Amino acid sequence: MTDVTIVGMLMGNLPSIIGIIIGGLCIAVGVHFVPVGGAPAAMAQATGIGTGTVQLAAGSGLTGLLAAGYMYMTLSAAGTPGITEIVLICATGAVGAMIMISVTMLVGNWVYIYGVGVPPASAKKDYDPITGDSQAPYVAAGTVGQGLPTVCFVCGTIGGFLGGLGGSLIYCMLMWVNGDPAISSIFAIGVFLVNAVLPSYNIQGTIEGFHDPKFKRVPKAILACFIASLLYGIIAVTIPGIAMLTGGS
Amino acid sequence: MSAGGPGGEAVSAETANQVDAKGIGVGLIGIYIAAIAADAGIPYLIFLAGIGAVFATKMGADAVRRVCSYGIGTGVPSIGMLALGMGLISAMFGLAFGAMIGVSYVGPIVGLVVALVIGFVVGTLANKIIKLNIPVMERCLMEIAGAGVLVMTGLSVMIAGSMDFVVISEKVIVTGYIAPVFILGALGILHPFNASLGPDETQDRTLVHAYSVGAIAMVIAGVCSIAVIDPIAGIISTVVGLAIWYVTFMGFVKLVKRDAGAGYVGTGLLPPGAM
Repeated sequence: MTDVTIVGMLMGNLPSIIGIIIGGLCIAVGVHFVPVGGAPAAMAQATGIGTGTVQLAAGSGLTGLLAAGYMYMTLSAAGTPGITEIVLICATGAVGAMIMISVTMLVGNWVYIYGVGVPPASAKKDYDPITGDSQAPYVAAGTVGQGLPTVCFVCGTIGGFLGGLGGSLIYCMLMWVNGDPAISSIFAIGVFLVNAVLPSYNIQGTIEGFHDPKFKRVPKAILACFIASLLYGIIAVTIPGIAMLTGGS
Repeated sequence: MSAGGPGGEAVSAETANQVDAKGIGVGLIGIYIAAIAADAGIPYLIFLAGIGAVFATKMGADAVRRVCSYGIGTGVPSIGMLALGMGLISAMFGLAFGAMIGVSYVGPIVGLVVALVIGFVVGTLANKIIKLNIPVMERCLMEIAGAGVLVMTGLSVMIAGSMDFVVISEKVIVTGYIAPVFILGALGILHPFNASLGPDETQDRTLVHAYSVGAIAMVIAGVCSIAVIDPIAGIISTVVGLAIWYVTFMGFVKLVKRDAGAGYVGTGLLPPGAM
């Protein structure tokens, strides 16, 4: 093949590039929803899950990818998946990621409540935006909140939804291009990680959810991830599957 | 000395240019000798690709050390994941490009160039749009992405015994060996500084640690290659990796003892200097 076919692949796969960009943006926005507390949260001195953005994003993204991969295998038995099937696959991936992040938050809350002995509370708002519960009296002195109050839990679930949706969409788009599950999934992980790390720099490591003042920085992450995903989309669609290279089916 | 929190530029005995030159030079030469020898029917030299990957790991660890001493707010592991995220895409593109034009030997170099471009773009996005304002960001992300490509390519060539994209995708990606390659490569780049950071961090200790983690990745890749290509070649790689690990890890322990401000005892009790 020559360079001409690379240009041809780019033009022919324009829908896939757009899909990869949309998936990347979903992941970027999803990272802002996940209540990441980092090291302070691990010591119950800040609200959120006690680990870094990347670990959470990668965990939920990979769970979503597994779910989506299984659904893809089941649905593609009848032929190449169309738009309807892709909606189903992305929904499966999103639900998989939501389950993972919800279980993490639930068990984390058990540890905070019964293990550490702190009530879940956020210091960013006086009242929980969803339940209206008073927060300030429950925030321990010298900390910026602890555990995962209702609003953080709901935000985390939304974040898992967007992350899983984005990851599965990227996977489906790559499957359209190269038809190779192994290459597609490993590529989806690569695109996923880059789109998860850039927004985590944007929130500087910690965020509580949509009620956090840092959530207003979303547009910057969207712009950065748009450019990054465009670059990745262009690179990713020029990679053929093994079947194309060996001249097989 | 670089601090773990927001600090200044890291103090270096070995300059960035020297580390980069060794990382890229030894990395590429090792990968090429290994792949050319394996194509010529001598698979016993594939451990050279692993040695290339070890030097590339050190280059990535040094770049992580320089960028993270400014304090990036997200923890050191994020940048290692970013490295292999960028490296994975570039490495696969490079190898696939080589397969498409029918000259598989251009793969690692194309991958490296793509990684440098991606690293520059992502570094510029982080600095100009997300406004991290770290002066060495662009350069360090270029180095980290480059190290990611060389580590991925080196370990993949070591397992598959070839630089051909079809062979690598059958023997490394489809078999799932790409997962240990990915995570061990990332650990080699992110772990040395993550483990050594603090006010008394020194460059030689961090980089010796990088060699030893890189050698562990080489051992695991060697074990994987026993099942994939020639068993003797796989065992040679594993033994060479173990030897490198032993030497560098002992060197690391020696430097830890050198840098221990209060002295050390082997009993777990406080050393005399601390009391």
